[in-house]
Amino acid sequence: MNTILKLEHIQKYYGDGGNITKAIRDISFSVEAGEFLGIMGASGSGKTTLLNCISTIDTVSAGHIFLEGIDVTEIKPKSLARFRRGNLGFVFQDFNLLDTLTISENIALALTINHTPAGSVEPRVLEMAEKLNISDILNKYPYQVSGGQKQRCACARAIINNPKLLLADEPTGALDSHSSQMLLSTIQSINAQLRATILMVTHDAFTASYASRILFLKDGEIFMELRKGNDSRNAFFDKILNVLTIIGGGQSHVC
Amino acid sequence: MYAKLVFRNARRSVKDYLVYIVTMTICVTLFYAFLSISSSYYNPDIGSEYDFTLLSDGMKAAICMITLLLIFLIRFVNHYMLRQKQKEFAIQSIMGMEQKTIGRIFFAETLIMGMISILIGIFFGVFCSQFITAMLLTAYGRPYEISWTLFPDTVLWTVVFFVISFLMVGMFNTRTIQKTKIITMLSAEKENEPKLGKSRWIFVMAIIFELFTVWALITGVIKALFFYDSRFPIPVQLMYFGNILFPAVTLGWSFLWLFQKKKWDAQKLLCGLLACSVFNTFAAVSVPALTNQYYLPLGNGMLRQYLLYALVDLLFFIGALIYLASSFIVIWKEKSPEHRYKEENLFFLGQITSKLNTTSKTMTLICITLVLAIFLFIAAPILSGWAFGYLGARSMYDVQVFSRYNNVYEEKNLPQDNYEIITDFFATHEIDTAYDCTFSLYLPKKADFHNRIKYDFPVVAISLSDYNVIRKMLGYEQISLGENEFITQWKTIATEEERNSFIAEHTSVVTDGGTLNISEQSYSDEAMGETLYNSYTDVLYVFPDKICEELLPVMRNRYIITTKKITYENARELERLFTAEYPEQAESGVAYGVRFSTLQTNSAIANNFILQTGMIYGAVVLMVICLTVLSLQQLLDAGRYKYRFSVLRKLGVEEQRIHKLILEQLSVWFGLPIIAAIMVAAVVIGYFIQTISAEISAYIGFTALMLQIGVTVGILGILLLCYFISTWVIFRRSVNS
Repeated sequence: MNTILKLEHIQKYYGDGGNITKAIRDISFSVEAGEFLGIMGASGSGKTTLLNCISTIDTVSAGHIFLEGIDVTEIKPKSLARFRRGNLGFVFQDFNLLDTLTISENIALALTINHTPAGSVEPRVLEMAEKLNISDILNKYPYQVSGGQKQRCACARAIINNPKLLLADEPTGALDSHSSQMLLSTIQSINAQLRATILMVTHDAFTASYASRILFLKDGEIFMELRKGNDSRNAFFDKILNVLTIIGGGQSHVC
Repeated sequence: MYAKLVFRNARRSVKDYLVYIVTMTICVTLFYAFLSISSSYYNPDIGSEYDFTLLSDGMKAAICMITLLLIFLIRFVNHYMLRQKQKEFAIQSIMGMEQKTIGRIFFAETLIMGMISILIGIFFGVFCSQFITAMLLTAYGRPYEISWTLFPDTVLWTVVFFVISFLMVGMFNTRTIQKTKIITMLSAEKENEPKLGKSRWIFVMAIIFELFTVWALITGVIKALFFYDSRFPIPVQLMYFGNILFPAVTLGWSFLWLFQKKKWDAQKLLCGLLACSVFNTFAAVSVPALTNQYYLPLGNGMLRQYLLYALVDLLFFIGALIYLASSFIVIWKEKSPEHRYKEENLFFLGQITSKLNTTSKTMTLICITLVLAIFLFIAAPILSGWAFGYLGARSMYDVQVFSRYNNVYEEKNLPQDNYEIITDFFATHEIDTAYDCTFSLYLPKKADFHNRIKYDFPVVAISLSDYNVIRKMLGYEQISLGENEFITQWKTIATEEERNSFIAEHTSVVTDGGTLNISEQSYSDEAMGETLYNSYTDVLYVFPDKICEELLPVMRNRYIITTKKITYENARELERLFTAEYPEQAESGVAYGVRFSTLQTNSAIANNFILQTGMIYGAVVLMVICLTVLSLQQLLDAGRYKYRFSVLRKLGVEEQRIHKLILEQLSVWFGLPIIAAIMVAAVVIGYFIQTISAEISAYIGFTALMLQIGVTVGILGILLLCYFISTWVIFRRSVNS
């Protein structure tokens, strides 16, 4: 297995002078190709900051991030947009779909921005829609479909350019439990069938249980790592809950 | 405590209020500048022969009428501010502040900002009123002097007007804030486009258009039945048939659509009607144009009716074009995948169509208002040039006395007077005359005395000696005639074709004193005033004195040029004395009239000035309203756009491309209504110029006209550019923030 993403001693500080907040203290890990990695942590643990740094939306204070050998912290600001659209796919909590475009146009936009020849846009959109089971809503507008469908459209948009890494930020945050379940199955199938590498940030144990490996963050550092291995999802879910209990503070913190 | 909050808020949020302050300042500046000349303290040096009071009341009325439009703008800008601040209001009410208090605080804030705008506006208004004074003094032919004065009554008027409008709008806002739910305020920024459905207003417009088309069709058929003649020239025949054919096609299309309703959508109907409205407009407009050219026997009422049809057609054209614009884009998008799937085009087209769908009504209103503004801008110099040119042609003499015999039915009642009352008045008031000529106008044939048919009124004659005295008065060369010869004298307004055809038909004239032949120099067309000719005629015969002695004198005129200009008071006094003795309609049936160049010039300049400034003020106000609304429409949605552009950014679109997209979007947003308005305005103005082309060439000249139009277009361009650039800068900032 080859490494797609590698983080080396990432640090991120906010503020200046004597008033510094360390959002990320020192984090290092790597992600293999085709892996489905979950990042969990309580609010303020630094998970969103970490995702922003990987996605080049934010810069790191120290350390290096390599994506397929390229150091993204060294890319010039002007070239960042091109790098992002060529290598990364995003799924956000609030879908980030454009309400002026239909579902199919929303997916096609990701292709056209990447200068895909006009002739191959439609077939690729149809093919992807087929895979994610959204073919029958292609001509509807985002406000005409359910949250789950919107998020599947966002997934389609994120992976249609075959990104090296799919970044998902709380993808089930705005969905009900049924839609969440369906979406997670979709993401899992993207991972399994399309061999996409996925990095998902969440604070929800159920969502995280779909991943194959989970990193737990606490106060800007990796607190623990959990691998699913051959466990069933239920067993993995229990394990996650246990870790969360530990992170949430053991008995010693309850007075 | 609240007062503190108000002031602190106001100080902090000056930046938020920038749009508000700028718009209000423009309104106040315009209002003050134009109103200042009607101030009772305003006393420019325009000379003793002019009276200024005539101007101020008319001016005040004109400005106040137009200014009512500004209230609409104030209301719109307030709505914009309300939207901007909704989130802040929501937080304040969550914290426990009563909505009533929030409303009052907002009201106090806007009032403070309004007061600041009034102060700045009056300051700029003082500068701008200098331009108006310059315009005024040029109109009265005086050198321009700068006078920096603040007129207390104008300041009072301005403050009262704007404070009242602020209070009215403020009360309305307070009510709105009180009634809005907290949750609505809280989610105001996140709120998505209401719904991509289209409103149905266009169908109301279409029904009105259809009703007018039915009326036009009926009129067309009746007109053809009563007035059509197969000997008419081809353009006239086309006009008759066009006015039946095109309305019929329009209605036919609508019926066809009704039968095919299941298969055809409403857009197909509208597309057809759009095309029909263009043809209908041309057909309707051709009626007055051809009536002028070929002297068709259609009354003024009929011409106005056709202008009304043309107007309705044009309004529908604007509405339908804007309503369908987004559909056209969608069709084009569907048909050409290579354009649709080119880079960010999908996003761009989505932006445009969604905005067009939700605001087509506003866009149509903006477009119609723009047409009106452009028309006013261009028509103002034309009309005032016309009036001044006409003034020159009318008031060539300091005193003009004239008479008409239209209602005299017995020869003994014809005017014989020498109007000695004027001589006496001049003697008592020590007014010296440089030239004085009392003369008669004769009928070539006595038998024509009873001919009173309007279209066949007889041409009268003047004796050569009188004619030459008048020519001398005006500084023209003397002319001479051979034995039994005559020449013709023409009004400035007469066209060359009219003149040539008349001369060709009248190479000799049979008179009671014998037959005369036209001289080698057959005509003279120097301007000699309007009262030298008989009613309804544009031509005058000049006969040898000997012949005139044997003719029937029907009119008696007296023209005087004085050594010094008669003062305004003297002119009024003499006018009063004269009309007492020689009324406009004497018992004998003679109609007397007197004109003083002093009075004529004075009233003409005043009226003309009111007309011109009123039109320009109206045009500027309309233009400012349109451009402000256009720009605010975009800025209002900046929150929504910020989200959309942030999605693009996340998808990996470079900043450079985003800036380009913003520029393109604003260009379309400003460009579409402006181009549509220019197209329609070009038709309207072209038609307007064509109908009065005779007057334009006689009194203004086409080069001068083109120059004026050029200057106007330049000013409009600069105004547009200012608005465009400032909207662009603010838009970019709010999307990037």
